[in-house]
Amino acid sequence: MKVFLVCVGLGLVLAAASGAQAYHRFWASCNYDAPTFMTTMTRDAVQDYANAARYEGYQWGGGCWNYDDVDSYPNDALRDPSTHGEGGDCSGFVFKTWRESQDAWRDGRYYWRALRNVHGPYDASAFKYGNGAPNHVISKSSAGTMDAFASDWHIGMVFYRSLYGGDQIVEAKCETCGTNIFYRTYRSDSSYGGVARWGWTG
Amino acid sequence: MGRPSIRSLAGGAAGIAAGIIAGIGLSSISTASPSLPSPPRFVDAAHVPPVLTLPGEPIRLRFAVVCTPRNDGEPCHGSGDVYVRAGQTGTFGRLALRRSEDSKDGRYYVDLPEEIGSSPDGFSYYAVLRDDETGATLTVPSGGAAAPQRSLQLRAPAAVTLGAHVFGHPRAADARVVEARWGSAPQDVGLAGSRERGFTGPSAFDVEPDGTVDVLDQVNGRVSRWTRVRHSLVPIGVDDGLADFAVEADGSYDVLEPTGTLRSFRADGSPKWSQTLSDRTWAQLARGPSGPVVQQQPSEQWLPAAEEGRPLTRSAQARAGRPGKPVGDGREVIVERVGESELRVAETVGNSPLRSWRITSATSLGEVQLAEPQADRIVLVAKTYTDERDEFLVLVLDAKGLAHEFSVAATAWAEAAPLARFRLAGSSLYRLGSTPAGAFVDRFELEVPR
Repeated sequence: MKVFLVCVGLGLVLAAASGAQAYHRFWASCNYDAPTFMTTMTRDAVQDYANAARYEGYQWGGGCWNYDDVDSYPNDALRDPSTHGEGGDCSGFVFKTWRESQDAWRDGRYYWRALRNVHGPYDASAFKYGNGAPNHVISKSSAGTMDAFASDWHIGMVFYRSLYGGDQIVEAKCETCGTNIFYRTYRSDSSYGGVARWGWTG
Repeated sequence: MGRPSIRSLAGGAAGIAAGIIAGIGLSSISTASPSLPSPPRFVDAAHVPPVLTLPGEPIRLRFAVVCTPRNDGEPCHGSGDVYVRAGQTGTFGRLALRRSEDSKDGRYYVDLPEEIGSSPDGFSYYAVLRDDETGATLTVPSGGAAAPQRSLQLRAPAAVTLGAHVFGHPRAADARVVEARWGSAPQDVGLAGSRERGFTGPSAFDVEPDGTVDVLDQVNGRVSRWTRVRHSLVPIGVDDGLADFAVEADGSYDVLEPTGTLRSFRADGSPKWSQTLSDRTWAQLARGPSGPVVQQQPSEQWLPAAEEGRPLTRSAQARAGRPGKPVGDGREVIVERVGESELRVAETVGNSPLRSWRITSATSLGEVQLAEPQADRIVLVAKTYTDERDEFLVLVLDAKGLAHEFSVAATAWAEAAPLARFRLAGSSLYRLGSTPAGAFVDRFELEVPR
C-alpha cells in the first residue's frame, strides 16, 4: 500500500508535467456541439460575431474561444496546434464567422457558437482561390463589410472601409497579436486576392 | 536493497497510472469553464465621414452599429441619432437614423437635408448609437459635440485626371541610403515569421531634418540609426508587432504598438511614458507641431496623443479630434478616398479650405501613404492597384493641379506597418522597402527636374 501511495504521488507529478497539462488546456472547456442550420446570414450579424472574438487570442489550427476578453493561454509555441490554446487561427476564424460547413460541398449556413471547437477544411490559400462551395473570388475593389482578403499565408475580413483608402480588418493574426481589428492595406497588396462568401441575406 | 516483488511492482505501476489519471482529471476540471460566459455588453461602430464634399452632392451618412452577438445568430437591433448642423458652429439638430435592408456599407443611415448637406460652410455632426437590447450606447466620434466630424465643401478643386495607370515603369531611386541584411548582427535588421505565416521586417522608419534615417527594428528590440557618416543602435523595449514610429524634434522616439499603446522613449532608449489611445484602432502615427498625432477609428479623426512632451488622457485626446493632419501654422491636410478611384485633398486653415484637389483615376486607388506640404506644393503618395498588380503613385500637386508624378515599385517582401512606408524630409521623399535579402530605404529627390 505504501508503494502504491508513493507512486500515486509520482503519477500526479508526471501528470502536472507539460505534456499532459498542454493536452488539457483551453480545449478542455470547448465542445463539439452541432452547429445550428440557418436560413439567414447578414453581414452585420457576422460582424457582431467577429467583433466579439476580439482579444480572445490566437491558436494555430484552433477554433474555440470564450467571451472574457482575455487570451487564456497567450504566447504559446508558434505553429504548434498541440498547445490547445484559446482562439482561432486566421482561416478557422473566417470559417466560423462565415458559418460554413465542414463538408466543402455544402453551401448552407451553419452557426457555430464560440466554444465549439472547429477549424474547418480550408487554409488561407484555399480561401484565396475560392475553394469550397460557399466561397468565391471577387474583385478586390468591390470588397465590402465581411468580405475578405486572402494571401497564401493569411486571411482577414473587412470590418469596414476607411477614410485613407485602407481597411479596418478583423483577423486572427498571430500568437502575439491575437484576434483584433487592425488597419491594413491588403486591398492594394498584390499578394492578396479578394474572396467572399455566397449567401448573404442582408 | 532487496529485490522488489511482483506484487510491489504491480502496485507501483497501478499507483503511477492512477496518479496520472487523477492529475489529468484534476487539470481538466481546473481549466474547464462550466459554460460560455455571456458576451460583454458593448456597442461599437464604423463610419466613413464625408470630410470633403462637392456642391450639390447628396449626402448620406452610413453607420455600422456593432453590438453584442445574439444567441440566435441574427443581427442586433440598433438605433441612433445624428446631431448635425450647417457650418461649423452653433447648435446641433437631431435626425434619427433609419434602418436599411442591406448592411454591406453599414445598415443605419440618414440623408441630410439639402440646406445642411449643401451649406457652403460645410456641416458638422456626431452620432449617438444604441444597442436596443442591452441599452449600451456609443458616441461617434468620441469627442461628441466638442470635436464633431467636420465636412468641408470644396468649391473649385483643381482637377487631376490620371487616366489608366501603366504598370512596370517605376522611377529608380536617386540614392539607397540604407541597406541591411536580415539578421541580428549590428548592421542587420530583424526578420520574424516564416514562409507559411508571412514575414515581418522593420515595421516603420523616420527621417530627421539632417537626413539621419532611423529604422524601427522591433524584431531585434532597437532603433537602427544611419547618419551620413556612421551607424549606431539604440535598444528600446517594444514588442515585436507591427508598430508605427516617429522621431520627435528633441530626439525622443514615439512607438505606437499594435494594441493601441503609444510609448515614448528618450533618445538613449530609456522609457519616458506610455499612453493608451482614445479609439480602438489606429491607422497612422505622425509628428504634429506640438507632439505625436494619430489617425484613429472609429472616429476617423486625427487625435493628439501628447502635447509638449506630456501624454494626454483618452478623453482629452477625443476632445481634440480634427479631420486633417496638423502640419503647422494652424494648417491641416485633409484626405478622403471616395469610391474606388477618386481622392480628394485639401489644405485648410481653421475650418476653411485654402486650396484643394480632386484626383480621379481609371485604375483603382488604394491607401494614401503620405500627404504633406512641401514648399508651396502638396506631396501625395497613394497606392494604385488591380487584382494582380500594384505600385505607388507619387503626385506633386500645385495650385494648377498636377506639377509632376512618378511611380515607385511596391517592393515589400516583408510586412511593415500599414501607412509607414514613406517619409518626406525637406525636398526628399524616402521609402522603406524589403526583398528576400534584407530591408532598404531609398531616397527620391523631388526638386530635380526630370
